[in-house]
Amino acid sequence: MTILLIFAYIFLILIGALLLYMTFKTDDRRYIYLAVGFYVIFPVIVTLKLPIMLSPEVKQLYDAVEALPDSSTVMLTFDYYPSTLAETEPMSHAALHHLFRKNCKVVTMTTIPLGGPSIAERVTRELAEEYNKVYGIDFVNLGYKANYVAVLKGMGTSIETIYPTDNSGTPLSEIPMMKDIENYGDIDFIFVVADNSIVDYWISIVNAQYNNPVGTGLTAVMAPRYFAYIGSGQMTGMLGGMKGAAEYETLLQKPAAANMGMTSQSLVHLFIIFSVIAGNIIFFMGKKGKSRKSA
Amino acid sequence: MKTTVPIIAAFLSGFVMLLAFFFNPETSALGKLEPEVLSWVTIVGGFTLLLGVVSIVRVNYSSVKRKSSGWGYKLATLISIFAMAIPAIVPVRWSSLFGTGTGSIYDWLFNYIDSPMMSTMFAMLAFYIASAAFRAFRARSAEATLLLVTATLVMLWRVPMGEAFLSGIHPDIPDLINTYIMNGANMAVQRGIIIGAALGAAAMSLRIMLGIERTYMGK
Repeated sequence: MTILLIFAYIFLILIGALLLYMTFKTDDRRYIYLAVGFYVIFPVIVTLKLPIMLSPEVKQLYDAVEALPDSSTVMLTFDYYPSTLAETEPMSHAALHHLFRKNCKVVTMTTIPLGGPSIAERVTRELAEEYNKVYGIDFVNLGYKANYVAVLKGMGTSIETIYPTDNSGTPLSEIPMMKDIENYGDIDFIFVVADNSIVDYWISIVNAQYNNPVGTGLTAVMAPRYFAYIGSGQMTGMLGGMKGAAEYETLLQKPAAANMGMTSQSLVHLFIIFSVIAGNIIFFMGKKGKSRKSA
Repeated sequence: MKTTVPIIAAFLSGFVMLLAFFFNPETSALGKLEPEVLSWVTIVGGFTLLLGVVSIVRVNYSSVKRKSSGWGYKLATLISIFAMAIPAIVPVRWSSLFGTGTGSIYDWLFNYIDSPMMSTMFAMLAFYIASAAFRAFRARSAEATLLLVTATLVMLWRVPMGEAFLSGIHPDIPDLINTYIMNGANMAVQRGIIIGAALGAAAMSLRIMLGIERTYMGK
């Protein structure tokens, strides 16, 4: 098995080197595209299991959810567009696994009109079936309402004022679970999964003004910005990109989509690094050649 | 009139929300105004969406009518808008195919057309980034070299293979990157940006409330 793995790695390195060489020789960037495509697809054919190391931010979020008493009420947001599903949906899946496993009451909502309510509906129903959870008793999908700042602020006074009905049009007063949930005061934890700056408002409005703990799952490009909020204690943990989701899945002992994606992501990252190094070597060699010629 | 009324509306709305923050929404009249104003904001927000749809239809319809360049794409936009909107607006009691619930036309179009298309567009970034990395990311100056080295370290740290490689050199390297790059230099800079942006937003809000900033009226 180890020998096979070594062969697989050598094969991968050779393919990358060959395609970069072809790009350099022909000045045709399509070889690079071919390499990226190859590295994304290869792990689907050959499984390479990788050890996932845990980062403190992910552990902090996991511990915060784990510390919630059973049957706590948690708000889970689906603040992301379909374009980032590969990164964000595994986070929502992992969060729901954890929450349903702990018998938490889950209120889902979104500030994204394009697909947010549909994604929330699909993901929650999928997992609810696995955990035998009933709509209206164990979870509710509030759906989308326009103007997120007003929505976030307004739910601090009354969720029903902002969302008179759930996503399918049932009045909140007719939903058993919502009878005990009036505003943020009745919500124990907020788990924000987002691919945009709405996170700032969850922190500046909901955490700062209503003291609700807010944990987040963010795309990898967003994550660096939000380390500042973890440092200040305004954010209770963070899943940064697909790696964060993979770490959460590892903690839950439920490896799924994010763990699967780690090999592709690893290979593409390494290829990009390799490309940068190769590009710089070529650049400096060319520069040296030019200066020799001019001398 | 066209300028004075919006300025007064902006001033009053902003001032009420500013004051209401300091009053209890259950006991004081001013505090009670806050949820009222917020309800108005969500309603107005709904109308702005409608305004957006009307505007997009008008712009694209006139191009299709005139058969100007790219009118085929504009026609596709119009068809897409109505194909998504009409089945979603029709009351669900007529048929389970209407509305936005699971199994509806809207849901089907979203899951099998819209969502894969958006994911594909976003995924293409990876190809461009790889190409740009090879062709443009050069250590031309000290600053560019610093950026390049940091980016390489963070990229390695963010994937299991890279993390394993860094740990192989020294087991503390991944933790050091987290402590000194992400929670050190990165955090310090991000804090500066966040605080700067917040101060800018506060100043801009004040300018709008006082009627100095009028770009939102198209001026």
